[in-house]
Amino acid sequence: MPGGGVARRPLHFIIVADCSGSMAGERMQALNYAIADMVAQLAEWERDQLVAQVLVRVLSFATVPAWHVRDPTPVTELRWQALHAIEGGYTNMAPALREVAAAIGPSTLESRALRPAILLITDGRPTDLGNEFASALSALTSFPAGQASLRLAVAIGRDAKSEFLEQFIGDPDVPVIVAGNTEEIAERLVAASIAVSRLSEAGADRDALMSQLLGSGSGGPKDSEDHSII
Amino acid sequence: MRAPTDGSPTDSTPWQFLASSTRGAAHRAAALANEDAHAWRVFDAAEGPVAVAAVADGHGHRRHFRAERGARLAVEHACRFAEAHGQHIDRIGGESELEEFGREIVVPTVLEDWRRAVAADLDRDAFTPEEEAVRASAGDDPVIAYGATLLMALLGDRFVLVSQIGDGDVVALGVDGAVDVPVPVDPTLDGHHTTSLCQPSAAASFRLAVIDQAAHRLTALLMATDGFGNAQASEPWPPAVGADIASMLGRRGTRWVGEQLPLWTARCASTEGSGDDTTVILAVRRP
Repeated sequence: MPGGGVARRPLHFIIVADCSGSMAGERMQALNYAIADMVAQLAEWERDQLVAQVLVRVLSFATVPAWHVRDPTPVTELRWQALHAIEGGYTNMAPALREVAAAIGPSTLESRALRPAILLITDGRPTDLGNEFASALSALTSFPAGQASLRLAVAIGRDAKSEFLEQFIGDPDVPVIVAGNTEEIAERLVAASIAVSRLSEAGADRDALMSQLLGSGSGGPKDSEDHSII
Repeated sequence: MRAPTDGSPTDSTPWQFLASSTRGAAHRAAALANEDAHAWRVFDAAEGPVAVAAVADGHGHRRHFRAERGARLAVEHACRFAEAHGQHIDRIGGESELEEFGREIVVPTVLEDWRRAVAADLDRDAFTPEEEAVRASAGDDPVIAYGATLLMALLGDRFVLVSQIGDGDVVALGVDGAVDVPVPVDPTLDGHHTTSLCQPSAAASFRLAVIDQAAHRLTALLMATDGFGNAQASEPWPPAVGADIASMLGRRGTRWVGEQLPLWTARCASTEGSGDDTTVILAVRRP
């Protein structure tokens, strides 16, 4: 075989996890458990499908962001280490979005990579000043990989479901996944991971998947945006 | 122009062709056909033999439910164009003039012929109720069902004109060891979506490249659907792959490389690689 051999197409999956002060206690405990479970689900999916290699990174954020898993790590090799809430930490999402933008920006991902997936998990509204959130989101979606990225959001607690998360998702057909209580966090993250994996598959029937996986409640046929042509 | 040959080496042509196409593992698992197509021809012309090579990749989404036919029609009409007009490739005699020929003649003619062929196919074989339901739910023009990419090369004795719409790769291997990607990058191609013959904007989405072998003599030209490039572990892959192929052609010969090519496309199409339909044509310049 000429060249350096063959490999599956990389699917970069970035988890952006809220570690602000309000996440302390039961919420953080439930989140850690849920992420570990989600990673196992993704590893199982990777084994069963025929195209992608899942590479996971984890970015925690509070007042400032910090990489928890900085380097793209094969999902089958990831051994989950617990996140911790930052006492008194704010919910500044903008710096986290900029950090993600830098991680998947131009010339950072393989040219053959599948579109990246970004999962934002939070229990609150952003505490960024002014229009920093909008500015950071605009920066994230200003280049091809960011624009094409599959963005999902899990709101822990119904109060966390905000227009900011909807803006982050950037697709009216994709709902914010809400975990009404700590017991639901694991189930919602599993739904998100399944959505990420299935929507990454070639020829995915997006509308059917949205309805099935996320309960979007979108009735009737809709023009799918997830088609092969630009 | 006299009758075409199938590209087997003859004394009249400086080009010989190696090709392989393998159905992707993902398609195999879904009981789908290989939606790639490929073809090459050599035509004798007064000015000397002209060759054409074409690969096409039918889109995988359910909206493009006749993409396999669309790809086949694309390479077929690329070859027909070459038969009718390919003699101009060395007659026009200038890079900018050839690029204009590509933009003004090749692209619109091949597009129009493809669309006409799609319409004729639909006349002969109307959409089934199931197909029509898919088309109607998306509000698609019927041509969308046939969506495919196309990479075609007209190869003369001196000039090579490459025309490409959509994803896929063309790699030029020079006799001096240089490896080049001659077709300009389309920044809108994000690895998830592609431009397509089926789009109203198709003409403007074509990218062209002219190679003047008086300045850059070729050892070979590789044309591949994206299943090949998406399987390559090297990043970027053309330099390493191109250098290796050039070395193999030199040390082992064309016949040996031709025997290996099906193994390479099979690996790329497998679960170790991209899992996608993978098609490669290697046009090798005889010394």
